[in-house]
Amino acid sequence: MLTKEHALFTFDRFEVRADCLTRVQHARYREMASKLLYIYHHGRGLTRRDLHRRSETVFTDEADCPPQRVRAFVKLLDDVSEFETDREGRAAELRRRVFELAALRHPLVRRPDRLFESAEGKVKADIANQLAQPWRVIESSMHRDFPEFHRLQVFHGYRDADALLNRYNVAQAQVLLFWAEEMTITARSDLKMLFRYAKLAGLLHEVTAVAPSVYRIRLTGPVFVLKQTRRYGVNFAQFLPALLACRDWQMQAKLHFGKFRSFLRISSESGLRSFYKPEKEFDSALEEKFARKFGTERDGWKLERETEALVKGQKVFLPDFVFRHQDGAVVYFEIVGYWTPEYLAAKWKTLAMFADRLILVSVSKPLALSQENFMPPGTLTHGRTLQLAQVLERLKQVRERKGRNFGGGDSLIPSAPV
Amino acid sequence: MVSRERPSSGELTYDRGTLVVHAPQTCCPSPHFIWDARTDSWRAPAWRYPTVTRVLSEAHGDRFNDRVLEVVDLQLVTKELHTLREDQREALTRWRGADDRGLIVMPTGTGKTEIAMTAMTDCGTATLIVSPIRDLMYQWHRRIQRAFGNDAGILGDGRHEIRPITVTTYDSAFIYMDQIGNRFGLIVFDEVHHLAGRNLRQAAELCAAPRRLGLTATLERTDGLHMALMDLVGPVVYRQEVSEARGRTLAEYETIRIPVHLTPREQRHYNAAAATVRYFVMERRKTNPSYTWQDVCSEAARDPAARRALRAFRFKATIEDRAEEKLRVLEDLFRLHAQEPVLVFAGSNSMAVDISRRFLLPVLLHHSRKEERYWALDGFTNGRFRALVANQVLDEGIDVPAVKVAVVVGGLASTRQAKQRLGRILRKTGSARAVLYEIVCDETHEKERSRQRRQSDAYSGTRTMREHTLQYRVGR
Repeated sequence: MLTKEHALFTFDRFEVRADCLTRVQHARYREMASKLLYIYHHGRGLTRRDLHRRSETVFTDEADCPPQRVRAFVKLLDDVSEFETDREGRAAELRRRVFELAALRHPLVRRPDRLFESAEGKVKADIANQLAQPWRVIESSMHRDFPEFHRLQVFHGYRDADALLNRYNVAQAQVLLFWAEEMTITARSDLKMLFRYAKLAGLLHEVTAVAPSVYRIRLTGPVFVLKQTRRYGVNFAQFLPALLACRDWQMQAKLHFGKFRSFLRISSESGLRSFYKPEKEFDSALEEKFARKFGTERDGWKLERETEALVKGQKVFLPDFVFRHQDGAVVYFEIVGYWTPEYLAAKWKTLAMFADRLILVSVSKPLALSQENFMPPGTLTHGRTLQLAQVLERLKQVRERKGRNFGGGDSLIPSAPV
Repeated sequence: MVSRERPSSGELTYDRGTLVVHAPQTCCPSPHFIWDARTDSWRAPAWRYPTVTRVLSEAHGDRFNDRVLEVVDLQLVTKELHTLREDQREALTRWRGADDRGLIVMPTGTGKTEIAMTAMTDCGTATLIVSPIRDLMYQWHRRIQRAFGNDAGILGDGRHEIRPITVTTYDSAFIYMDQIGNRFGLIVFDEVHHLAGRNLRQAAELCAAPRRLGLTATLERTDGLHMALMDLVGPVVYRQEVSEARGRTLAEYETIRIPVHLTPREQRHYNAAAATVRYFVMERRKTNPSYTWQDVCSEAARDPAARRALRAFRFKATIEDRAEEKLRVLEDLFRLHAQEPVLVFAGSNSMAVDISRRFLLPVLLHHSRKEERYWALDGFTNGRFRALVANQVLDEGIDVPAVKVAVVVGGLASTRQAKQRLGRILRKTGSARAVLYEIVCDETHEKERSRQRRQSDAYSGTRTMREHTLQYRVGR
């Protein structure tokens, strides 16, 4: 990741835009990125300082090239490189021996006299003799462990120039988030991934449903209610690649620069590509098979995959499927595969929190047998495949109950064994 | 570990840098609390812990359950701890009298560390010590080892060991305080003026430690931010000026400025670079009379000519910083003080390495590893090395009592840095007189930087020594 010193952005009224290299406006950068990759691909054995100097020459004649951009490219290339860092401490050991030998003859003078006899050249030659190495070699090895003299060993690189340019664009957006105090996302899909990574980043959420299956998620840090702070900026920056891997979203971050505030707006259409792998559409083959078998619509029910989030405080539950009937009835469907008893207990606890919703649960048969005593009545079981008829039958029951009295508290989930 | 278990109503707990009470929204537990709809709870800043507990205890008596601090009591056995002087004792008494909160402002070398160590034994509680840089963190670690035989935990420099006594840096404290802010009863901020920065102060805000001690020689900041420390750490409980301590608890000292000149070759390059900059700015001013250096910097983003001017400017600065003549004068100073330890402060890593290569002296830079730092500092302290070179890592707090000679070959215009560097040689040992030399390239911008940093009482009476006088004194 880049640091603030690499950040490059412009203001447009109350909006801030991260530096973004585009194919049309910055066509030349593709060639320059290729040159940078060439330098690093063929730079094995070169010091970090030499690599940086060579990289800088690539941009010499480019008019539109702020120094931060050059430094940012170099940092991104360094980040995917392995340098020989002298972990064994050979350079430090050599320095130690040289300095200890020289200390006996301090100070080393250019013009020796009767009081100070230790001529610099003579002392260095003597030390070279004692260490049985030419002074030239000693001097060049003494500081090999200093960062600028680290030598490139392996360059993992980027797939091609476009990948490097995309990484640069994402990194500039990320670094801008270091100034962020809060982030608001309007999301329509991949909710599970969004919430998982937000939690991993240590952020708290407030969720508002703005339309069916459309959520506004406000992410902040724990201290936010007391003080608007940028201390979670790194958390927001770490979260961004996960967001970019999702589909169909808009994000607005509130940024605080010294005395004024500004907004950064990005969406899934901004052209930034994540380097995270997107989530698989289905968690298991079982779910995929069931969805295929069900088709898009059956008996007036439409099947949606993880489009609804059930939220209580910081607890978010995303049932695997949502059945939505044309008359407005909504039934959630959660599938429990091969998991531990502890997992199952936690699952019942979660479901109990949302007992006011209609949630249908199917548990795998071996698990259902071993945990029979804790299985609430009404729980479906499945083997290698989910019985579609069984599910449709339960949905039919729901429709019939709806005819009588359909409303809150008519849960399919009985009191969970906690 | 911070408990993740949801606390029951009526309990005061710590959650990632905040105090939390789970009570109905209609029932605010005490001032400083704000309703947090995200978690259905009341939150207050952790540093308000003493006030909050006082209010809650008064209001609820025994029914109030305080689960904030997870602190162990310590019985520190002192192995090597100096008896405090009268002024140090006075400072400690005043701090204890202010409910174990407050700032002690004393010049460098007057033994603030010793006051903090005695405060730790008196308080007998888990203590976190925050210092500005890794070198100082390790110095605290060693001092604690010597004083109490206690292997303190280290948080920072890639280590994450939390023990009843832990040392850390301001940067690490800022990053990790929300995870460890309830594990200590006492927090000591060394060089506390660093804490006042808008971000770093969160190291104090997210911490619940009720006892707080701030130590510094240079409290006041030009931006006025130090006023925030009065709330976060406590009021100034004791202050001692350099003039009070000079000659008594501090060594007598003098500061000497030695102007040097560029060699003809350097001067040629310097003039050429200066001409490039001058010509560029002059051309721009033909069309825009108010064109400033700031404009050059912003134009460098889109104009190769501006970039060349900027590069020329930096090249000029490098010539000033690494002037050959400085190394020659340094040789003379090493001759003059051949029998004494000499500390050399460089203005850049490159110059520090240049000096190290020329005189084969140990050099400490920000990336030097812990073992090498220990080895170099030990060697310097016990006299094996008679000189040590550093860029900025030894500017603050490093304690080498025997050093009475320091040479500044480059640095910032900051008076704080100048005072801190001077402070390295002021620890009183017998009647030895300290001397700080400053080698400055005359007729360059460095002269101006030097003039700015000497605008401090501590540098009043600086005299100028010409090179030939120095050569005469070393018998050349």
